[in-house]
Amino acid sequence: MSDLKRFLANNTLALVGTIVLAILLLAVLIGPFFLPSPLAIDMAAKLQPPSFSHWLGTDNFGRDMLSRVLNGGRYTLAIGVFVVAAAFIVGVFFGLVAGFAGGIVDTVIMRIVDAILSFPALVLAIALAAAFGPSLQNAMIAVAITLAPQFARVARAQSLGVSSRLYVEAAYALGLPRGRILNRYILVNSIGPLLVQASLAFGSAILQTSALGFLGLGAQPPMPEWGADVSANLSFVRSSPWTALGPGFAILITVLSFNLIGDSLADWFNPRRRSAA
Amino acid sequence: MFAFLVRRLLALIPVLLLVLVIVFSLVRLIPGDPAVTLLGPGATEDQIAALRAQLDLDQPALVQFWSYLTGLLHGDMGNSLKSGQPVLSEILIRLPATLEISITAVLIAILVGIPIGVVSATRANSGFDHSVRVISLTGVSMPAFLLALLLQLVFATWLGWLPVSGRISPYFFVDRVTGFSIIDAWLSGEPGAVASAISHMVLPTTVLAVFLAATLGRFVRSTMLEVMDEDFVRTARAKGLSRHDVVYNHALRNSLLPAITVIGLKFAEMLGGAILTETIFSWPGIGRYMFEAIRNRDYPVIQGATLVFALMFMLTSLIVDILYAVLDPRVRRKMR
Repeated sequence: MSDLKRFLANNTLALVGTIVLAILLLAVLIGPFFLPSPLAIDMAAKLQPPSFSHWLGTDNFGRDMLSRVLNGGRYTLAIGVFVVAAAFIVGVFFGLVAGFAGGIVDTVIMRIVDAILSFPALVLAIALAAAFGPSLQNAMIAVAITLAPQFARVARAQSLGVSSRLYVEAAYALGLPRGRILNRYILVNSIGPLLVQASLAFGSAILQTSALGFLGLGAQPPMPEWGADVSANLSFVRSSPWTALGPGFAILITVLSFNLIGDSLADWFNPRRRSAA
Repeated sequence: MFAFLVRRLLALIPVLLLVLVIVFSLVRLIPGDPAVTLLGPGATEDQIAALRAQLDLDQPALVQFWSYLTGLLHGDMGNSLKSGQPVLSEILIRLPATLEISITAVLIAILVGIPIGVVSATRANSGFDHSVRVISLTGVSMPAFLLALLLQLVFATWLGWLPVSGRISPYFFVDRVTGFSIIDAWLSGEPGAVASAISHMVLPTTVLAVFLAATLGRFVRSTMLEVMDEDFVRTARAKGLSRHDVVYNHALRNSLLPAITVIGLKFAEMLGGAILTETIFSWPGIGRYMFEAIRNRDYPVIQGATLVFALMFMLTSLIVDILYAVLDPRVRRKMR
C-alpha cells in the first residue's frame, strides 16, 4: 500500500488519471439512477442542445445524451475489464509456456504470435468481428485476440529471464512439479511488467472496441455504446454536434486516464527511465 | 549484407504462411453455411450452390487452402460479391489514395515528432516537457474518428477554410494517370487543381499524423534521456564539446536509430486508423473500400483488404530491419 502511495505522490499525472477514473466510475455507477432511461424516446424533445434539464443535450429520438453516455460508460468499463482479462489470461499462459518449455513448443507459439502481430491490430479486429458477425460480444472476442500476443511476448521474455535465476534452479533441485514452478515462481516474479502491459492495454481495448462499434461491428442499436453512438449521430453532427461529441469525448477522457496511469507505471517499473526522468 | 537479407526473407516464410492461413480462415469463421450467410435470405438453391463452388466450400479444407494459395500466386483474390470485379484490381485502383495520405502523414509526423522529442529531452521536467507529455498522451488516446469529426467541424463546417470530404473539387476534370491526386492534378495542367488536391488532403493527413507524431515525440524523448546518461556522452561533455555538439552529434544520432523501428511499427497501426479516417472524409482508399465491404458483407473484399494491409505491414518491418542494418555500424559488423 505504501508503494502505491509513493507512486501516486511522485506521479502527478498518474494521480490525475486515478482521480478522473474514480470520478468516472462513481458517475457511471450512481448517475444512471437519477437520469431517465437511456432508451426512453421523447420525440417532442429531439436534438435539444445542452441545457439544465439535459446536460449533454438529446439525440434524434429525444433520448438524454448524459444518460446514454453514463450508461454507455458501464459497458465501456466492463468491456475494458473483460477484454484485457481475456487477453491477459490467454496471452500470459501461452507466453509462459513458450518461454518455459523452449524448443519446438516455443517456436510454434511464437510464430503464431508473430503472424497475429503481422496485422495492424484494428484491421485484424475488424476482419474477425466481420466474420464472427456484428455484436458486442464478438467484437470483444476479436479485440482480445489481437491484444493477447502482446501479453504472450512480455510473458515469454519474463519467463526466459526468470527461469535462469538461482531460486528457480533451487526449486528444480527440490524436485517441485513443473506446473508449480511455473505458477509459484515464474509467474509471480514476472508480474510487474505484465501489469504495466495490462494498464496500457486497457486504453487499446476501449479504443478498438469503440472503433468496431463506430463501424457497426460492435454493440448494436439501441444499446448506448460510445463508439456506436458517435456513428449513429454522424448525420446530425453539423447541426447538433453534442450528439456525437458527448460520447466521443467520453472515450477520449477514459482512455487518456488509463494511459496517464499506464505511462507513469511504465516509467516507475523501468529504473532507467525513472532515473532519467 | 546479402546473407542477412536471405536469412531475413527465409524467416518471413513461415509467418507469411500463417498470415495466409488466418486470412483464408476468415470466411470459414462465419457461423453456419458461409454461402447462405453471404447471399442473404433471398438466395435460391442454385445461387447458393454456385457460390459454394466459387469459394470451393464443397472441398476439404486443405484443398480449399491450396487453391486459395495458387490463386493468390496468380494474382487472384476472388471477385467482389457486390461489383463482381476482381478484388485485386479494385484494391490496386484504391492503393495510391491510401498511400498518398499515409506516406505524407509519416513525413509530417517525423518533421513534428522528432524535434518535439529532442526539445522535451533537453528541457526534461520543464513546463514545456510536461505539456508535451500531456498533449502527446492525449494524441495517443484520441479515437481517430473523434479527431476527424472535430477537425471537420472546426475547419470545414464552422470556419470554411478546408473542404469537408473528397479528393479534389468536382469543378476540375483531372484524368487518372498515377492515381496520386496531387501528381494527377499537376499533370492535368488545370490552374488551381493542385491547390484543391492539397487542401483536400490536409485534414485526413493531419488525423493520421497526430497519432504517429505523439508516439514518436514520446519515444525520442525517452531514448534521448537514456542516451544522454551514457558514458560516451559524459566523455563528450568532459572533452569540452559544446552543448549543441553533444546533443545533436552524439545523443540525437544514437536516439534516431531506435526511432526508425517505432516509425515502422506505428505506420502499420496508422493503416488501421486509415479505415476510420477514410470513411469519415470519404477518401476513396482501401480503408473506405473495406468499410463499404463490411456494410455489404462482401467477404472476399474484406479478406483481400486484410491481406493487403498485413502485407504492407510485413514489407514495412522488412524495410525497417534492412535500414537498421544499413545505418547501425554495430549491426553491420555483426552481419559480416
